[in-house]
Amino acid sequence: MKVLIVDDQPANQVMLSGLIKRFGHQVTCADNGIEAIDIFANLAPDVVLLDVMMPVLDGFQTAPRLKALSGDVHLPILFITALDDQETLLKCLEAGGDDFISVPFEPVVLQAKLNAHARVRELSYSLKGKNETLAYHSNRMEREQNVVRHMLANALQENETEYPFLKTYLAPASEFNGDLVLSKAGPLGNFYLFVGDFTGHGLAPATGALPVAQTFFDSAEKGLSIANMVEEFNRKLVKLLPDDMFCAAFVAELSANGERLTYWNGGIPDALLINEAGAVEKRLVPEHMALGILSPEEFSSQVSHCFVEKNTRLITYTDGVVEMTNKADERLSERGFEALLLRYARERDFEGLVGSFQTFQQGQEQFDDISLVCLDCETTNLPVNQPDTNVTHLPFRLVVYLKENEIKGRDPIIKLVDSLSHLEGIRAHKTTLYLLLAEAFNNTLEHSVLQLDSGIKETGHGFDEYYRTREARLAVLEGVEIEIDIEYKPDNHLLSFSISSNSENGFSEYQQVSEDDEQQAFGRGLQLIRNFSSHVEWRDDGRRLYIEYDLSRPHA
Amino acid sequence: MNVSRDFSNDGKQLVIAIKGKFDFSLVQEFRQAYSHIGDSQPTVIIDLRETDYLDSSALGMLLNMRKSLGSSVKGIQLINAKPDVRRILDISRFDKMFVIA
Repeated sequence: MKVLIVDDQPANQVMLSGLIKRFGHQVTCADNGIEAIDIFANLAPDVVLLDVMMPVLDGFQTAPRLKALSGDVHLPILFITALDDQETLLKCLEAGGDDFISVPFEPVVLQAKLNAHARVRELSYSLKGKNETLAYHSNRMEREQNVVRHMLANALQENETEYPFLKTYLAPASEFNGDLVLSKAGPLGNFYLFVGDFTGHGLAPATGALPVAQTFFDSAEKGLSIANMVEEFNRKLVKLLPDDMFCAAFVAELSANGERLTYWNGGIPDALLINEAGAVEKRLVPEHMALGILSPEEFSSQVSHCFVEKNTRLITYTDGVVEMTNKADERLSERGFEALLLRYARERDFEGLVGSFQTFQQGQEQFDDISLVCLDCETTNLPVNQPDTNVTHLPFRLVVYLKENEIKGRDPIIKLVDSLSHLEGIRAHKTTLYLLLAEAFNNTLEHSVLQLDSGIKETGHGFDEYYRTREARLAVLEGVEIEIDIEYKPDNHLLSFSISSNSENGFSEYQQVSEDDEQQAFGRGLQLIRNFSSHVEWRDDGRRLYIEYDLSRPHA
Repeated sequence: MNVSRDFSNDGKQLVIAIKGKFDFSLVQEFRQAYSHIGDSQPTVIIDLRETDYLDSSALGMLLNMRKSLGSSVKGIQLINAKPDVRRILDISRFDKMFVIA
């Protein structure tokens, strides 16, 4: 231990330093306060013995300055005083002294005091170290929380909550919400909703929100079914979450006309369908375990469907709502919540309902995350996605020759349409192009090549018989070629197909029948071709079916 | 599986979803999907959200289903058809025989 003695009396310096050296400590002496301050930084003493009366700078003035120089670490200062009057002693303490020792003194008392103060200084050192570690970790945690907050904010950017038919209330118990409410419009004017409740609060459950949100938005954009969606949520969460963590969830899809509700409830309190008066019409009870527990093999994605009446509203909430307590420690309970619904639903007063939560809680601390969602089951008025209809400007011609191998293999038409779909502007028409090509191809194959009679289809089991015969005749087919000639002319946006076969027969039925009867013979297929093309004609005495399709025609 | 079949938990609805291409290649699968519906007179729902292609044989299969189910079901709904698929159903006047929602 390094001891600094500050005293203007050489005799005192000699006496004290001799004594303290004998205790086994290092000693340095200063003649006055200024000198002590000057050497302080280099010396870094552990304890200071300070005389009161000194020239230049006395003990009372020196003490606070030495304390300041010591910074965060406690520096014990012992005043050496011959004075025994209480006023001086008090002044010593006020000036920042930690103790005093009156001359004359017993050496053993000085030794004991030095040791005691050295221990305090040790403690102060270790406290400082711990504070620094704490500050480091606290900074690091804050930085990491910022990163997660940033990621969550980005992940939830796609969250769409601003719809006239949707109201949400989210009140997390801590900074990070363990509840998750997601909503997004689907491509068919339909609407998807996810209400989730992760076990626990804070950072860990908030992290679980990331994969769920990504999956939800991707699936909603693709218009996938609720069953598909929950399977994917579960698959991801089982893989990611530790065993004791899971996510209760209610996932629903409202159809564009607002009349059909499809839902999956895994461990969320009964969602409620309420009528205009706020009375419960139907409870959408949890029928499954929460997400992230069962393996994909055990998991059930069985959804429920219901038709909803006009003016019905879907209310769904996490258990934080019914488990909130008042001052008397009473839970709001399902019954209490439904009573509130009755009171506020008639006026569609969502804010009033939420306000009544605060009134109920009477300022009690909220222990669980609270989420409440109200979805009006009405026509969503959401836009139906239209694919991009830019039309390619390059003219092209493609002739495909299908021999029996290709004809017998897997549907050649779907392959052809898939390939054509890679061209700009054609993709948007793929469904209609498939229909036209498939009808034209099947007509050629079935009537001209296989010589099937459509009339069979109309009889009792004719449909099956027709396709059985088709298969049987196809199996023994030889030496056949069907030619599909596709041409695109950019100036009039016309895509034309002509389909013919090397069969001698041609469209035999065509040759005999008038247009009215033609419908009968070729049935629905040819009717569809007529409806969806801008021009159809038979060429080469009915051996070749020529179809024009206008890519610039307004879509749907 | 391009055809999936799911009864709702209350047994009141049978949902049949068709993925990708809907044509005669699914004739067996599709017929199986609506067989054994029991006596509960469910509503049959054909979910077309993932149906990208269909042709006249699919229309024929739907009509066959209607004929074969008759009064053993409460009704048949065709739902979630994409715009182009919807147009084919509309032009074929399927709205006269099915609920298209």
